[in-house]
Amino acid sequence: MYIRGKIFDIRDRIHQFLSHVKKTGAGLLLLILFCGTAVGQDIEVTGTVTSDAGETLPGVTILLQGTERGTTTDLDGTYTIMTPSDGVLVFSFIGFVGRNINIEGRTEIDVQLTERVAELDELIVTGYSVQRRGDITGSISTANVDNIANQTSSSALQRLDGSVSGVTVQTSGSPGARSTVRIRGVSSFQNNDPLYIIDGTPVEDDFANWLNPKDIESIQVLKDASAASIYGARANNGVIIIETKKGQEGAPQLSVDLRTGISSPVGGYDDFLILDALEYHDVVRRGSLNAGVSVPTNIYGDPGNPSIPSYIWPNNPEAGQTNSLTPFGITENDYLYGDPGNINQQIMPASRGTNWWDEVFGTAVSSDMNVAVSGGGDNNRYNVSFNYFDQEGTARDNRFQRGTIRVNTEFDIGRITIGENLSLARDESYGGIDLGGDAEDTIIGKNILSQPIVPVRDIGGNFASGKAVGLGNNSNPVKIASSNRNDINANNRIFGNAFARAEIISDQLLINSRFGFNLGNTTFTAFAPIFPEDSEPNFVNGFSEGRNEFQEWTWSNTLNYINTFAQSHNLTVLAGQEVTKTESRFITSSMNAYINTSLNSRYIQDALGDPDTKNTSTSGGESTLLSFFGKADYNFDDRYHLSFTIRRDGSSRFGEDNRWGVFPAASAGWRVSRESFMDSADFISNLMVRFGWGITGNQSIPTGRLFDQFGGSTGTTFYDITGTGSSIVSGFRSTEIGNRNLRWEENESYNLGVDLELYEGQFNFTFDVFQREVDDLLFNPPLPATAGQAAPPIQNVGKMRNRGFDFSVGYRGSISEDLIWNVNFNGTHYKNEILRIDGDQEFFSGPISGRGATISRNYVGQPIGAFFGMQADGIFQNWDEVDAHASQDGARPGRMRFMDTNGDGQVTAADRTVIGNPHPDFIGGLDLGARWKNWDLQTSFFGSFGNEIFDVQKEFYVFRLFNTNVRRDVLDDSAVLNIDGPAVVNNQRVTNAEVTNSDAKYPRLDDNDTFSSEFSSFYVEDGSYVRMRTLQIGYNIPPGTLPGVQNMRVYVQGENLFTITGYSSIDPSLPTSNVGGSAGNVRDQTIGVDRGTYPSNRSFSIGISATF
Amino acid sequence: MNLFKNNKILFGAAFLLLAGGFIYGCEDDFLVGEAQGSLDEQTLANQNGVEGNLIGTYRMLGGGWDGFGLWGTGSSNWIFGGVATDNAYKGSEPGDQGPITDIELYNWSTGGTDEYVNDKWAALYEGVNRANSTIRLLDRLLENDPTSVPEDDANSIRGEALLLRAYYHFDAWRMWENIPYYFEDDEDFRKTNVDVDVVGNIINDLNQAISLLPDEPRNGEVGRVTSWTARALLGRVQVYSGDHGTALTTLREVRTSGPYDLEDNFQRVWTGFSDFANGPETILAFQASSNDGDPNGNNANFDMRLAFPHSGSPFGCCGFFQPSQNLVNFFVVDGNGLPLAMTDDTWNDRDDNLAAGAGVPVDPRLDWTVGRDGVPYKDWGNHESGWIRDRGYGGPYSPKKHVHEEASGAESNVGWNATHLNSVNWHLFRYADLLLLLAEAEVEEGSLDNALDIVNEIRRRAGAAAQGPGESADNIAVPIDDPSITWADYSIGEYDSFPNQDFARQAVRHERRLELAMEGQRFFDLKRWGIAEEVLNNFIEEEADRRAYLGGAAAFQERHNRYPIPSFQIDVSRVDGEDRLQQNTGW
Repeated sequence: MYIRGKIFDIRDRIHQFLSHVKKTGAGLLLLILFCGTAVGQDIEVTGTVTSDAGETLPGVTILLQGTERGTTTDLDGTYTIMTPSDGVLVFSFIGFVGRNINIEGRTEIDVQLTERVAELDELIVTGYSVQRRGDITGSISTANVDNIANQTSSSALQRLDGSVSGVTVQTSGSPGARSTVRIRGVSSFQNNDPLYIIDGTPVEDDFANWLNPKDIESIQVLKDASAASIYGARANNGVIIIETKKGQEGAPQLSVDLRTGISSPVGGYDDFLILDALEYHDVVRRGSLNAGVSVPTNIYGDPGNPSIPSYIWPNNPEAGQTNSLTPFGITENDYLYGDPGNINQQIMPASRGTNWWDEVFGTAVSSDMNVAVSGGGDNNRYNVSFNYFDQEGTARDNRFQRGTIRVNTEFDIGRITIGENLSLARDESYGGIDLGGDAEDTIIGKNILSQPIVPVRDIGGNFASGKAVGLGNNSNPVKIASSNRNDINANNRIFGNAFARAEIISDQLLINSRFGFNLGNTTFTAFAPIFPEDSEPNFVNGFSEGRNEFQEWTWSNTLNYINTFAQSHNLTVLAGQEVTKTESRFITSSMNAYINTSLNSRYIQDALGDPDTKNTSTSGGESTLLSFFGKADYNFDDRYHLSFTIRRDGSSRFGEDNRWGVFPAASAGWRVSRESFMDSADFISNLMVRFGWGITGNQSIPTGRLFDQFGGSTGTTFYDITGTGSSIVSGFRSTEIGNRNLRWEENESYNLGVDLELYEGQFNFTFDVFQREVDDLLFNPPLPATAGQAAPPIQNVGKMRNRGFDFSVGYRGSISEDLIWNVNFNGTHYKNEILRIDGDQEFFSGPISGRGATISRNYVGQPIGAFFGMQADGIFQNWDEVDAHASQDGARPGRMRFMDTNGDGQVTAADRTVIGNPHPDFIGGLDLGARWKNWDLQTSFFGSFGNEIFDVQKEFYVFRLFNTNVRRDVLDDSAVLNIDGPAVVNNQRVTNAEVTNSDAKYPRLDDNDTFSSEFSSFYVEDGSYVRMRTLQIGYNIPPGTLPGVQNMRVYVQGENLFTITGYSSIDPSLPTSNVGGSAGNVRDQTIGVDRGTYPSNRSFSIGISATF
Repeated sequence: MNLFKNNKILFGAAFLLLAGGFIYGCEDDFLVGEAQGSLDEQTLANQNGVEGNLIGTYRMLGGGWDGFGLWGTGSSNWIFGGVATDNAYKGSEPGDQGPITDIELYNWSTGGTDEYVNDKWAALYEGVNRANSTIRLLDRLLENDPTSVPEDDANSIRGEALLLRAYYHFDAWRMWENIPYYFEDDEDFRKTNVDVDVVGNIINDLNQAISLLPDEPRNGEVGRVTSWTARALLGRVQVYSGDHGTALTTLREVRTSGPYDLEDNFQRVWTGFSDFANGPETILAFQASSNDGDPNGNNANFDMRLAFPHSGSPFGCCGFFQPSQNLVNFFVVDGNGLPLAMTDDTWNDRDDNLAAGAGVPVDPRLDWTVGRDGVPYKDWGNHESGWIRDRGYGGPYSPKKHVHEEASGAESNVGWNATHLNSVNWHLFRYADLLLLLAEAEVEEGSLDNALDIVNEIRRRAGAAAQGPGESADNIAVPIDDPSITWADYSIGEYDSFPNQDFARQAVRHERRLELAMEGQRFFDLKRWGIAEEVLNNFIEEEADRRAYLGGAAAFQERHNRYPIPSFQIDVSRVDGEDRLQQNTGW
C-alpha cells in the first residue's frame, strides 16, 4: 500500500497515529468507543467476523462489555453469544483494530475488522509535510508519548530524557525548571537549543511550560541534517516536531485526567554533612590547632571541654564571656532586631544541631487536572482542553502553577479546510524557579551549608544567622525561601496558528498557508528584605520588577504535489516560502528602602520608599528571517528511496554579503526486504538501509552584532568630573565590537542507518551512526585584556565534531492471551571534539568559575566544556616528599600535591590542564511494559555512564571556605600528622612532620591551607548513574462497571524511586548552569559542573483517567 | 461555497497567497538588523562623543565595578600595595578571600593570585584602551573637520587622555615592570612585553600632555587634570625610575610654581565632606561619588568596600585591610616627638593591643590612619572591640583613612550593604606624596637641608590637628593637646637636622611610611628603595609571633619585586604557539 491522496487529511493521520500509540504503548490496549449501560433481556446473537480483505477470522475474542461473558469465533469465523439486547460486544484480535458494536436488539451481526496499520504505513509529521514512516530516509525518532505522560514535570521537554535515542536532557528538580535538550551531542559554543515545531509553527523555547504535556499527540525528533535541513538556518541543533491532539469525527467525547502526588528530594545535604554542633566544633578546633592559631572560644567555650552555650552573642571579641547573659550589657530586655545602630543586639539561642536541609526541603504536593472535549461532524473537527497544574517545590515556599486552554478546530468548506490551533497559557512560579544559577546565591547551595549551631530563629522569633565570629557569612536559607515566597515569575502566552489548505487538484496538488504566532509576556517581582542578622548585614530592603514582552510571527506557505507514475514511481514535491519576525522589549525597575514591606506596598512609586534609588531600564531586540525551500521525495516500488532538500534562508543577523545561506540535503534508502531475494526470509517484515547527508545552519546570535556599538552606564563610564561627590556626567565606551563578516554556522552531517523489523514489528531495531561537523562556529572568544573590556566580536571561529551512534531495540511478546509484555531499549554514544579554533588561540575559557578560578576550558582536541585545573597527585606525606617535588606554594605534609605538568620545576597556574570530561560515554533508556487482564505496568530506567562531574561545592563542604558546614567524613578521612600544630612554626619547618594515615581522602584540617582547595582533579568525580525513572501500575475498570463511563483507568506511579551511583553529592543528574554571554546562552560550556543542584524529585502519585 | 468549486478561483487564491509571501519577503530592508539600545560610531563622531569617551577614561581611575572581577581591581592598590607589605593584613577571617592571603603570604604562584592580578591587569588596560579610543576618535574628527572641536578643547582632550594613558601604564609598570605599551593606533593587542621602554613612553606621553594641557582644570571641573598634574606625575615617574637628578628639576618647579599645597590638617586629606575634597593637596584623585543615580553605587569607593570595620560597627562589613601591629608600633614617638623607630631598636617590641590609654606618646597621624579601641573613629563614636571580624586572626585594628564621616553624608543609599560605600575620593597622588618624593630625590642628590625642610613641613602639618571627639565637620579635628583628648598622648616634633645622608634617607623613608600608610603605596616604595626583601622578611619573622598564620608565609625573594604576569593573559596573547607576553623572571 502506498500513500494515497489523503495524505494531508489530518483525520487519517490522527486515526493512524492513535492506532500506533495503542500498539506500541501498553500493548494491545482496547479502545472502547461506545458506551453500554444497563443489561436488558438476553438474546442470542450470531455472526461472522471477517477481515477487510474478506477472509474469515478464527479465534477472535468477543466479550460482552462490562462482563466476563465472552466467546471466540470458530474456524469459520462465526460466533454465537447470549447477550442482553442493548449490550455492547467487544471484538478483539491480535493484529487487528478492535471494535465495539452496539447490539441494538439485532440477532445477527457480521463484523469486519481492519488489520492494524503496519509500522511502515504509519504517518509521521516531518518538515512541512506528512510522510509514511516507510518512506523516511533521514534519522527520525518518535518519542513514546505514553511514557512521557507517566511523569510529573510541568514541561514535556524534561520527560524526553532517556526516551528517545540520541537525545539528552539536563534539568533540575525545581518545578518549572529549564530543560536543556541536546540532540546527538553539542553543536555550538552557544545557543544549542533545538528548534521546536509545534503544530507547524517554529519556536525556540527551553522551558515550554505553556505546552500542556497532555495535549501532545506526537513528538518526532529529526536528528540528522537530511531530515532537518528543510528548517535550514535554525536546524543545527536538530528539530523536534510536536503535534497536539486534534479532534476526529464522532460524538463529543469528554475525557478527564486527574493526578495528585507527593514528592521529596532524592537526596539531601543532611545525608553527608555534619548535623551535630559539637562534631562541627571538632572540625573548627582541629583546623585552628593545625594552623597554629588559637581555637575560638566565643561560642563553644573551652576547646578542651566544649559545650553548647545557651545563647550565641552577636560579636563577642573576648573569650570566656560566652554563656553569661550580659557580656556587653545587653540583656533580653534590650534585645533589638533590625536597627542599624544596634546591630549587635541580637541574641540567638544556640542550637545543638540545626538540620538546615530539613528546614528547607521536605515533601511537596502536586496535582494535574485535565479536561478535554473532542469530536467532530462531517465538516468540522474540534478538540478543546483545559489544564490546571500545580506543583510545589520540595524546597519550602517554592511553587509552580499553570493553567492552559487549548482549542484546535478545523472546518471544511468544499476543498478548503481552515482552522486554528490555539493555546492560551499562564504560569506562575513562586519563590523563583531554579535556573541552574550560582547556587551560592540561592537557598540550595552555600546557604544550606550553614553551621549546625546556628538556630533558625533568634529569641525574638526573627530569623537568626551567622552574626558571630566564626559562623561564616551565610544568610539563613529558611529566611530566603520565606521572603521569596511572594516573588512571582509569571508567563502569559498565546501560541498557535491559523491555517488554510486547499486541494487544488484532488489528491495531487495541495496548497497550505499557515500564520503562526507566539505572543507572550513574562513578568517578575522580587523583594529583598533586610538582613541585619547576617555577619555581613544589610539594612536596606529593595524591590524590583520587570516585564518582557515578545512577539514572533511566522507565515509559511507551501505547495505539495504528489503523484504516482507507472504504478511504481512515487513522487512527492514540496515548495515553500516562509517569513519570520521576532521582536522583544524588556523593562525592569527597582527601588530601595520601602517604608512598608507588605505585599500591598510592593510597587515602584516615590512615596513608598526612597525615590533617589529608583532605577529603570529597558532593552529590546528584533530579528527577521526569510526563507525559500523545496523538497522532492522519490521512490521506486517502495524499494529505492531518494530525497532531496534545499533551503535558502536570509537572516537579519548577518551582514549584506553573508545574509543568505543555502542548506542542501540528500538521502537515499534501500528497502532490502522488498527485494525478491529476500522473499524466503518472510519473518523479516522490514529491512532498510539509509544514508543521509546534509547541511544545516545556526544563526542564533544576538541581533545587531555586525556593528561596533558604544554605550555605557552610570556605573561603568559616568564620572564625577566636577568633584561634587554626588553627581556624575555621561561617559561612553566601546561596549561591543562588531563584525561585518559574520556568517552562518554550518553543520555538515552524515548518517548511516539501518531499520530492521521482524515478525510484523514484534521485534524492531534501528541503528544509526552519525558524524556531525560544525564549521564556522559562532562565538566571541575573549580577547587579551589589552584590547579592553568591550564585548569581543562574535566570529566564525572554529570547528567541532560529534561522532557517535544511537540505536533503539524493542520487542513485544505475549505469554498468554492475558499477559502481554514489551521492552524497549535505546542507547546513545557521542564523542564531542573541538577540531579547530581560528586565529591565535588554542582555547576559550568557560564562562563560570567558583571562588577560585575558571572551571572549564574549551581546547582544540578536547570536548566542549572540558574541566580545567591542577592535576591532583595525592597528599604530601612528609617533608622529604615536599622537597622531592617541584616547588609548590604552601607545600606542607598533609596538604595536596599538584603535578608540575609543564615540567618547569614549579607548580604554578601554568600547570593547569584538562582534568575531566563532562560528556558521557553512553546514555541509555530502558522501558518495560506488561499487561495482564485489566492490569498494566510500565517502568523505565535511565542510565548515564562515563561522564564526570566537577563538584565545586567541595570549596565549601571540604575546604570550608567561609566557615561553612563540612562533610561528616572529613573528621575521619582527613590527613593527620604525627605532630600538633602547623608543620611550619615561625617560618621553621617541623622536620619530623609526617602523615600518619597515608590513605587519607582529604588534606589535613588546617585553616591556613588556602592551597589544597585550588581547583584540581580532586574536585572531579565519576558522575555515572542508573536511575529508575518511572514505575506505573494501572487498573482498567471494565467498561460498563460505572454508568456513563466509557473507559476508566486508575493508576499509581512512582518516579525516581532509586538511583545507583558512586557520586558523592546529592544528585548526579545535573542541570546546566544558566549562564549567558554576549554571544548568547553558553550553558553548554558548563555541563557537568555541580554548583549545588536542586535535586530531582522522588514522587508517588495516584491518578485517574476516564472518558465519557 | 459554490465559488470554491471553481478551480480557477482556487488557483487564484493560491497564487495570491504565495505572491503575498514573496512580496513581503523581498522588501529590501526586511532583513536589515540594526543594533538595539546602543550608540553607533556616527552618533559619537562629534565633540560630545569625544568628551564622553574621555569621561569614561577618567572613570577607570576607580577601577572595576560590580561584576567586573574580584576585589582589588582599583587604583587604590590596597591589596598589592598594602596587604602585601608590613602595613596591613588581609583581615576579615581565614576562609574569606583566600587569594588575598596568598598575596599577603607571597604565595604568588597560586591560581587565586593569578585571578587577582588578572583583574588588575584588565582594569588598567581598560583604562589605557579608553584613553586610546578618545584620542582616536578625536583624531578622526579633526581629520574630517579641523574646526569640529575648538583648538583649546582639542589640545586639552588629547593631553588629558595622554596623561591618563600614562598613569594607567605607570600603575601597571609598578606592578609588573615588564608590560606592553599601547598607543592609539595599535591594532594588534598581542604586543610583547619584552624590552619595552615603558618609562620612556610614559615620560613621552607626560611631556606631550604638559605641552597640551591648560594650567587650570578645563571648564573649572576639578576632576580634570592640568599641565601641573602632568608635571607632578612626570617627577614621580622620574623618582620611581631612579632618575633623581631630573626629578629634582621637575618636582622643584612644581613645588615653587605649582598650585599645590598641604591641607591645613590631616582630617581634610581624607574626608567625605565634599566641601573639603579637592583641596590644594589633591594632585590626582579618583572622584568617588555616591547617591549619584547609579543603582549599585559603582562610582563610590567600590574598590575599598571590603575595607571597613565589620559587623559590630556602623558599617557592618567586611573587616578587611587591617593595620598591622608593626604599623601601629611605628607611630610611637620618642620624647622629642620623633619616630621611636629612628633611634630605638625596641620600637617594635609591643605585642599587645595599643588601645586607648596605652600610655605611650604617639604621632597624631596614628588616629587618622588606624581605628583603635576606645578612640573616636572619625565621628562614629569610639572604635569598639566588637567592630573587628576575627580579632584572633587579624588583630584589633581597623583601617580608617578612606572611611567617611557620619556627618558628611557621603554614605551611599544603594548597593549591596550601602553602609560601606561612600564618596570619599581616593588619592592617587597627593602633594605630601610629591613632597616626600622630592625629599627622596634631594637626599639622593645630597641636598639634605632641602629634604629636612620638606620632612619638617610634613610634620608641622601632621601636628596641626588630632582626632577629636567632635561630631561635625568643624570639630572632628582638634588641636593635638586639646583637653577633650583622653585616649592618647599625641606628640610630634621636627628634626633639628639631618646629620648625614643615611640618616636623612631613613628619616624621609620613615616619614613616607607614617604619612602615606594604608594608601596603597608601601609595596612600591619598598621595591623602589630596594629593601623589600629585607624589610618584609624581617616583618614576617617578627609578626608571625603575633599572627600565627603569617608563619606560613613564603620567603620574599628577588622575584617578588614584580608581580607575576597573569597566566590567562599569557595564554590568550599567544601567537602561533609563541608567547608574546613573557612571564616575569622566577614565576
